[in-house]
Amino acid sequence: MSVEEAIKTAPAPVRATPEPARPDKRNRAWDEAPRWQIYLPLGIYLLFTLIPFYWILLFSLRPAGSTSLVPWPVTFDHFEKVWTDRSFGTYFANSVLVGVATLLMTTLVALAGGYALARFDFRIKRGFMLALLCSQFVPGALLLVPLFEIFAELRMINSLGSVILAETVFQLPLSMILISNFIKNVPYSLEEAAWVDGCNRMTAFRIVVLPLLRPGLIAVGSFAFVHSWNHFLFALMFLNNQDKQTIPVGLNSLMSADSVDLGALAAGGIIAAVPVVIVFAFIQKWLITGFSAGAVKG
Amino acid sequence: MKISKSRNRHAVTAVALGAVLALTATACGDDGSGAGGDKGAEGSGKGKIVFWDNNGGVRTEIWKEIIADFEKAHPDIDVEYVGIASTEYQSKVDTALQGGGLPDVGGVGSAMIAGFAAQGALEPLDERLAGSSLGGKLNKDMVESLKAAGGGDDKLYSIPTSANNGVLYYRTDLFEKAGLQEPTTWDRFYEAADKLTNKGRNEFGYTIRGGAGSIAQALDAMYGQSGITSFWDSSGEKTTVDDPKNVAALEKYAALYKKVTPAADLNNDFTKMVAQWDSGTIGMLNHNLGSYQDHVKALGVDKFRGIPQPTGPGGKRVQVSNPVDGLGLFKSGKNKEAAWKFIEFATSEAENSKFNEAAGQVPSNTDAAQDAWISKAEPTKLAADALSDGSTTIVQLPYYLPDWNTISKADNEPNFQKVLLGKMSAKEFLNTMAEQLNTAQEEWNQQHG
Repeated sequence: MSVEEAIKTAPAPVRATPEPARPDKRNRAWDEAPRWQIYLPLGIYLLFTLIPFYWILLFSLRPAGSTSLVPWPVTFDHFEKVWTDRSFGTYFANSVLVGVATLLMTTLVALAGGYALARFDFRIKRGFMLALLCSQFVPGALLLVPLFEIFAELRMINSLGSVILAETVFQLPLSMILISNFIKNVPYSLEEAAWVDGCNRMTAFRIVVLPLLRPGLIAVGSFAFVHSWNHFLFALMFLNNQDKQTIPVGLNSLMSADSVDLGALAAGGIIAAVPVVIVFAFIQKWLITGFSAGAVKG
Repeated sequence: MKISKSRNRHAVTAVALGAVLALTATACGDDGSGAGGDKGAEGSGKGKIVFWDNNGGVRTEIWKEIIADFEKAHPDIDVEYVGIASTEYQSKVDTALQGGGLPDVGGVGSAMIAGFAAQGALEPLDERLAGSSLGGKLNKDMVESLKAAGGGDDKLYSIPTSANNGVLYYRTDLFEKAGLQEPTTWDRFYEAADKLTNKGRNEFGYTIRGGAGSIAQALDAMYGQSGITSFWDSSGEKTTVDDPKNVAALEKYAALYKKVTPAADLNNDFTKMVAQWDSGTIGMLNHNLGSYQDHVKALGVDKFRGIPQPTGPGGKRVQVSNPVDGLGLFKSGKNKEAAWKFIEFATSEAENSKFNEAAGQVPSNTDAAQDAWISKAEPTKLAADALSDGSTTIVQLPYYLPDWNTISKADNEPNFQKVLLGKMSAKEFLNTMAEQLNTAQEEWNQQHG
């Protein structure tokens, strides 16, 4: 069997086979229940979750001093103020750079490490896995001073590289565990078939395994991006110059010791949330598939 | 199947190169030198200095203006501004004290000075001030306040830039409509709080601070009503917070909760409290000068006034001390001469006036305090008058105690919420706090002979 045939005939490793429809009690209840009994509670729940977002939108779009419950007349003054006067344009660009670089580095290293964990047996493998798990219990704040000293030695204080490195390091353990589970779900025989066809290990991995890992890569990558996008502590501590700051630090600086511009804060919050919402809207399907599949032990 | 080895190599190389480029492009940082133990150096009085603003963000623009003025006056000195949000300043300095990266100059207010001085991070400034043109031009009370808040060695570690003060904001339109007199006494305050409340129409007479920062405000109301003028008794070892007069005052004040205030006030920090007052129909609010501009933006200048705290028994006004802000010189700095020039410049008449006009605070420079803008910003003028005309007695809070921040925040804020909810008596609350304060004071006395 050639590699292509093997891929075609191989079971999809990460998608569960749909269960055959059976007229059980649950299905009957769904069919018989009036639609309002389903949609009303869902609607109320949706309303409950969306009200805080509406409140932020309201404050960001209505003029300062307005107490109206609808954003009318609409003003974009708050957005203009935070984007230009409060340097959110710069913060946004820095956050994008940190997020994308963390995503790339985390995914790349997790892929290599995850492959090793999934496909090779070595003496300290169990201990290594345990160490990866345990590292999740160490809060970032605890390592702040050692990390600061290391970056100072490397002359990386006040450089976005320090934040990217720190974020990547903290993302890696979970990402490696997730990726290794994905790789375990890909039948080893597929790779063996590729070797028989003349591929080396790297080529077989790239053309056979990698395409099947798409949900996992999207899950891990998006998780790394969103986490680094929202993370505050490392950017606050390792960066000084205003032109190096990221969005979370910028948001924090909108609140002074005894005064706060709620309109600007809300506009900053919307600017911070939009990329994350867009990312999730596009990858939602892959993300859910990815996390559920990665959670299953291979 | 055809396998392209070169494509494979290209892909791997591209990803690796991308990662390396991302790091390279973002690198080129510095070593963050200057840790807690460094002795620093006077330097040549030229070159670069780093300034950390302890209330960055909102005041960034005015500081940048002052820095531009300074660099114009001293073309051989370059100031790097780092704005840090007030909530994160302490942790940023603490990390730098351990790992390096302290600035040359930093904002050092009375609430933080004891901690930094105790770690040996700050340079004493008495001698520099004595030999400076600033000598005699700084508000003596502010200088004394910062000295008292220091490490207990009677040295000055921070040059005052401004003082905040407690303000009672009230809605003039609502008072006029209800035929009420302005709340200049505590009796009038309670009367107005009661009359302006109509729960059915969601109207309240007052908003109380039940969340973060509640203790200082409760102490202010307590001492203001009781008329007790000192935080410690004559022995200097026992606090007066649990004095029966203070207990009675707190009972009366806490009883306002839900009677004339919204129920949500239980979790009010200053942000929620100010936002609620600015957007609602609440008669009075206790805060400080810092939120004046927020009220102007929300309500305009005609609908409210900000006056000093009400007077208590015998027409005396007693209030607790508000933090004085200042600029400190970090010991680890490698260019202290230039750093001191910056401090001198920033607290000179013109710059201090400019800064405080933007911040809405009371200037530390006595000449700046006479400038015309003060009389236009009514709450600032009234606060400045109250602080200087002898009508007000200030109860100095023990900022010098290393445990003060813990006692006045984490240890007792949850208990104050219990008092508001009626789950703890005012007496029990104050007794607990008094015990903690007395212990902290005893330890401090032992350490300082």
